[in-house]
Amino acid sequence: MLFNSIDFAVFLPIVFVLYWFVTKRSLSLQNVLIVCASYLFYAWWDYRFLALIALSTLVDFIVARQLQKETVLKRRKVLLFVSLVFNLGMLAFFKYFNFFIESWVDAWQLFGIEMQTATLKIILPVGISFYTFQTLSYTIDVYRKKIDATNSFMQFAAFVSFFPQLVAGPIERASHLLPQFQTKRVFNSEFAISGFYLIIWGLFKKVVVADNCAYFVNQIFDGYGSYSSMELFLGAILFAFQIYGDFSGYSDIAIGVSRLFGFDLKTNFSFPYFSRDIAEFWRRWHISLSTWFRDYLYIPLGGSRGSTWQNIRNVFIVFLVSGFWHGANWSFVVWGGIHAVLFLPLLLLQSNRKHIASTKLSLQQVPMLVLTFVVVTMAWIFFRADSVRIGYQYILDIASFNSGATQVFYKTSKTILFTAIVVVSIGILLLFEFLAIQKDKKEVELNRYTAIVIVILICFMGVFKNPSTFIYFQF
Amino acid sequence: MMQLFFKRIGFILLLGIGITMLVSAGSLWLLRQSSFYKPSFLVHDIPEKDFDYIVLGASTGLTTLNTTVIDSVIQTKGINLSMDDTALSSQYLMLEHFLAQGKRAKFCILAPSAASFDANDPDISDNDYRFLPYVNEAYVFQYFKQYTSTRAKLISNSKWLPMLGVSYFNVEVFYPSLFTIIQPKKRNRFDAKGNYTYPIKNNKDAAISEFKAFPVSFSNHYVAKIKALCMANNIELICYFSPIKGKKVSTETTSFSIINHSDVLKNEAYFYDEIHVNTRGREIASTHFANVFQTLLK
Repeated sequence: MLFNSIDFAVFLPIVFVLYWFVTKRSLSLQNVLIVCASYLFYAWWDYRFLALIALSTLVDFIVARQLQKETVLKRRKVLLFVSLVFNLGMLAFFKYFNFFIESWVDAWQLFGIEMQTATLKIILPVGISFYTFQTLSYTIDVYRKKIDATNSFMQFAAFVSFFPQLVAGPIERASHLLPQFQTKRVFNSEFAISGFYLIIWGLFKKVVVADNCAYFVNQIFDGYGSYSSMELFLGAILFAFQIYGDFSGYSDIAIGVSRLFGFDLKTNFSFPYFSRDIAEFWRRWHISLSTWFRDYLYIPLGGSRGSTWQNIRNVFIVFLVSGFWHGANWSFVVWGGIHAVLFLPLLLLQSNRKHIASTKLSLQQVPMLVLTFVVVTMAWIFFRADSVRIGYQYILDIASFNSGATQVFYKTSKTILFTAIVVVSIGILLLFEFLAIQKDKKEVELNRYTAIVIVILICFMGVFKNPSTFIYFQF
Repeated sequence: MMQLFFKRIGFILLLGIGITMLVSAGSLWLLRQSSFYKPSFLVHDIPEKDFDYIVLGASTGLTTLNTTVIDSVIQTKGINLSMDDTALSSQYLMLEHFLAQGKRAKFCILAPSAASFDANDPDISDNDYRFLPYVNEAYVFQYFKQYTSTRAKLISNSKWLPMLGVSYFNVEVFYPSLFTIIQPKKRNRFDAKGNYTYPIKNNKDAAISEFKAFPVSFSNHYVAKIKALCMANNIELICYFSPIKGKKVSTETTSFSIINHSDVLKNEAYFYDEIHVNTRGREIASTHFANVFQTLLK
């Protein structure tokens, strides 16, 4: 069930009414309702995947309970190992099995040895990367004794499957979200209204910004060989806005919907295209994933405590694994690697925490802002390209400065119209974000009047006829 | 506590949707006053009531039969009401729309693609939204109501909530309606008699020697529906097969009058693609048609 679908527009009010009017008096009933609604939401894609999420929930619930009781370190490690193997094994099988086999065969081919391939037809369960990381963090935190294991299976099942953030995050920590399932929710109008505004803003980002950008991005990336350098460059810029509008739009809607039910999810995007360097970009982009890797990979590897070389190694490992998390393709690994390389100078000069305190922008910072955006955009090319070779060729074609023949942005009246919509929508997006940054806000601020304007813009500028699915669903 | 929430979202949704609804209704009104799409072109730009013939079809009818050429050859009065990317069901709707304007014709030339005569149309056609400004008309509403797809439902429900269709087809409906404020007489890719032509892409001069058989059995029930509507209005229906590159339509039916020109063009130079002629091909095909049609008129 997509957030931008009629199905969801019907589903959400029904669950809302049942939640606040029918099950309001009982916390347990509310949690049962959330689990049922979440499973229905998830089954809308493919009911067969429900078994996976149920199994993942069950395994981590039992493991965490045992961890809570167990005092012998060796046995605790075994229990943690069980959870890691189960969750990462499930991820490896459904997401990476064919990739590993194909890469293995390709590797032997480099030495001239031909091998028979036998891949499986595996359908990637929607959101598996997100909920496995969420359940993993729970078990690890219990192992580290940062949180107590919950005694309620229903609370834990609700935490794992909570439908607003189930399929594309934000990846919540048990320490933040699980207690919210354990305490009585009280309806707060202001909080719910802020959630409603976020839903509207998220829909604008997805339906207007991302889906209109997709009109050009798909054409340009699918036929990159026939476009001029400028068109390729602009295509990459539009992809930067497409993926941002798509993913952060989803996060905004997820956070907004959660607020309607009295839940507070953590901010996942904090105006990343207003970053002044790569380090700041990663503090603003997909925050729930970057902090996950920080806490469960970077710090266990030693973080920044070791020698410079160890530090560099750790940074590279985190970025490469982060890239690989996104998909079973070397292009994602290259994307992660590029970010590691871009991060390196800041690390070596110890200026990676330079913009941690100041958020407001000044005119002098514009060149750094533009430079950061351009390098991030260039890296996105590998993220969008079907293979490393295509991404590399795409960049070479940009660098060749060829004039080409296709005027993709103004060849017909329809493309001129799309160009105008894209320019205006990106302008509105950046304007609202700039105003929020200058006011030191964590999210875009709407009021009742700007919300009405955004609703109208969604109606007349949104893509409804051929909507794209959310990009991050494939991860 | 909840009252404030419902008041606020009620205010936003009611005002937001209310304004969108007004703008959408205005958008449809603008399109009805314009000549941009064929349904409103027929209403506004064509004052004549009586025609010798009308051409109903999809892109093949639109780009093959040039009514200007036909009329100049045999001194008739015709109009091309074909719309690209439409099915026989849409052509039935166009005939209803034509008749609803109080207009009459002696002949109806049905000229969709040959495949359309045997197609099953489970959904509305891609360009049927052009009838959206007329959704309040009973025949248009009923047409969309019979389909179960989302887009058909959105259009039929636009009778009460115009924002549904206008938002869904915003690129095709809303923005053109804004454009018609500046240019109300602008037509969307057709001339003053409803014709359009595909350009000459290349000058490939290659004779077509072999024509493979293309059987047509008229299984699409809309052919019979169109015939019945024609008969009820004293219109003679003629099914026309436009030229196809390297194919000849074969049919055994005796239920319909047929002009089969699927194999009249024997050189690739006359074609834009496999089933569409270019400007040169249109000239020849239209003349051919005029000559045959003249005998029927007598």
